[in-house]
Amino acid sequence: MLVDFLQLTVAGLSQGSVYALLAVGLIATYTVRHVVNIAQGDYAMLAGLGAVSMIAAGVPMLPAIVLAIITVTLASVIIERLIIARVKNLTTLVSIILTLGVSTLMQACMLLAWGAEGRRLPFFPGIDLNLGGVSIRSQEVWMLAALVIVGGGTLLFYEKTKYGKALRAVAEQPVAARIVGISPAVASMVAFGIAGLVGAVAGVVSAPLYLATWSAGLLLGLKGFVAAVLGGLTSFRAAIIGALLLGVLEQYVAGYVASGLKDGVAFLVLILVLVIRPAGLVLRQSAARV
Amino acid sequence: MVRPRRRIMPIALAAAAAITLSACGGGNFGDDNGTDDNGGSEEGPIIIGAVLDITGVGANLGVPEQNTLNMLAAQLNEAGGINGREVELVIKDNQSNEDGAARATTELIEQEGAHIIIGASRTGPSLAMRPIVESAEIPNISVAANAAIVEGSDWVFKTAQNDEVVIEMILDHVQSEGHETVALARDASGFGEGIADMITELGEERGIELVATEAFEPSATDFTAQMTNIRNAGADANIIWGITPSAGLAQASYSQIVGDVPVYQSHGVANEAFFESAGDAAEGVIAPMGRLLVADQLSDDDPQAEVINQFIEDYSDQFGESPSAFAGHAYDAWQIAVLALEEAGTDPHDLRDAVESISGFVGISGVFEMSPENHSGLDTSALIIAEARDGRWNLADSQ
Repeated sequence: MLVDFLQLTVAGLSQGSVYALLAVGLIATYTVRHVVNIAQGDYAMLAGLGAVSMIAAGVPMLPAIVLAIITVTLASVIIERLIIARVKNLTTLVSIILTLGVSTLMQACMLLAWGAEGRRLPFFPGIDLNLGGVSIRSQEVWMLAALVIVGGGTLLFYEKTKYGKALRAVAEQPVAARIVGISPAVASMVAFGIAGLVGAVAGVVSAPLYLATWSAGLLLGLKGFVAAVLGGLTSFRAAIIGALLLGVLEQYVAGYVASGLKDGVAFLVLILVLVIRPAGLVLRQSAARV
Repeated sequence: MVRPRRRIMPIALAAAAAITLSACGGGNFGDDNGTDDNGGSEEGPIIIGAVLDITGVGANLGVPEQNTLNMLAAQLNEAGGINGREVELVIKDNQSNEDGAARATTELIEQEGAHIIIGASRTGPSLAMRPIVESAEIPNISVAANAAIVEGSDWVFKTAQNDEVVIEMILDHVQSEGHETVALARDASGFGEGIADMITELGEERGIELVATEAFEPSATDFTAQMTNIRNAGADANIIWGITPSAGLAQASYSQIVGDVPVYQSHGVANEAFFESAGDAAEGVIAPMGRLLVADQLSDDDPQAEVINQFIEDYSDQFGESPSAFAGHAYDAWQIAVLALEEAGTDPHDLRDAVESISGFVGISGVFEMSPENHSGLDTSALIIAEARDGRWNLADSQ
């Protein structure tokens, strides 16, 4: 039935927009430092829980959300300064092990600070729509809007601005970048700041629908990672498209095949991509950019 | 320009491996104080072990259970312990998984020398504990629901109402409203196991047909697919069978997609947390549960009223929130363990017999009548039909 198909698609796109934001964060750090940041999903949970607490403490919703995003962005920069930047000869493999430690530490802190139960943020203002039987909640529109604005903004920053190109230059040609006056240390901090920002945005827009829980970041981060792999770990566009496809595919599998298989879809996609097309969805044309 | 494409494969594999490791690994948050094994001795402290879902998907259950046990242990020791012996409570976190529950149980038996073990919070972990306590011959009182936990076991008991009893209550209500078909969205873990069969079987006697079954993971956050299929099944009434927060999020999705069709939930949502996760969608939901959540609406001559109100007062004083039904299950398990220990001491076989002969114990979830045939001790009289109204559970009007 068309209505069902559209309903599943709406849910898949909104869920996929969260994966997409996390994928954007992962690529933001990978393109600059070749770091795969396992803690990316934990940024989202930290921001969600932080905003819930600030609202509980009496801060109005908008400032609470902005403050939570700023806090997580700074936290990400601090993590980069205190941990990532201190490792000499940082390989991608080392970065995975390192950020897995960061992720575990963040989860433990969140568990201590907020307890084990999931917390819900209030819904953002808006009206839930029903278009011919397809229900679209306003929060889902917010999630997609967050992807367009923040994810799209990051993409434009990296691909169109002088600063963004300079960031990528650090990864491609560190020595040359230094010669022309680009500081790798600053570039790395900026990249982590962006990763923190997009992760936090993903967390606060999704917390009203999906709750924020200390332990949920890892699986979310993994789904974002699968999307990033679909983008060859370098292409924002391919990763965003991949994330939306992954979200929608999960819904179709759950709706038309068996609802219990939903969480397996991401893993299956990961295996298929690695075996069949390790470059992900990247086309030659866009791969030649930079 | 060199693309890092070739390197993606090993990176991806390493990341996947790292994530898997971190998801499966991890230690216990439990209290490891390395007490010597003191098996069935009549000297030294009595060790009551507990394996609870304190972190992970069962946290809404395990945390209040942990609070309750800690509170009751302190109260008991203040009052002089059991027959003059101090009681030591050792709680282990199973992280809401089967593997953690099995490990924690073994630790409690082999390292802590537990005389009796309470837990786990959910069916899956409880089932994982069963073979271990049976082979070690240590009595175990689960606080989870599924009848399979105790079925045919000599050593395992439980204090949560049997799911079969809950389903009977739901189906009786469905029948009284004149509905003839139901569809089910159930928890994909142990708590939801066998529920569809039970509804089919018990529904047949009442002329009610189960027309569709959907499953969701307890960690799920999106339920669009399940609810779309439920809507298409077009049943007269629907049943959501799960625990909070997933059952609450499922409820929110239900009201978005399925709309105004009557919906029943299980005793798995008998807490305030349901209203946090379901939001406004909770309104009008009907669920059978124990009397704890509607204690203020009970009549004074209700045999459980005094016990329940005392418990609510103690718990609220100490933790600043009212106790959930799960806290009540832990209360009952603890009191049954203490009664049996007072009666029989710490010899495992005597202790087991004493638990099995508990009779007339007025607990939070009901009045318990244990027997060799019934290791759960409760029937439908332990349940009331509650309705969600104005952000809390209320005694439904029909009673």
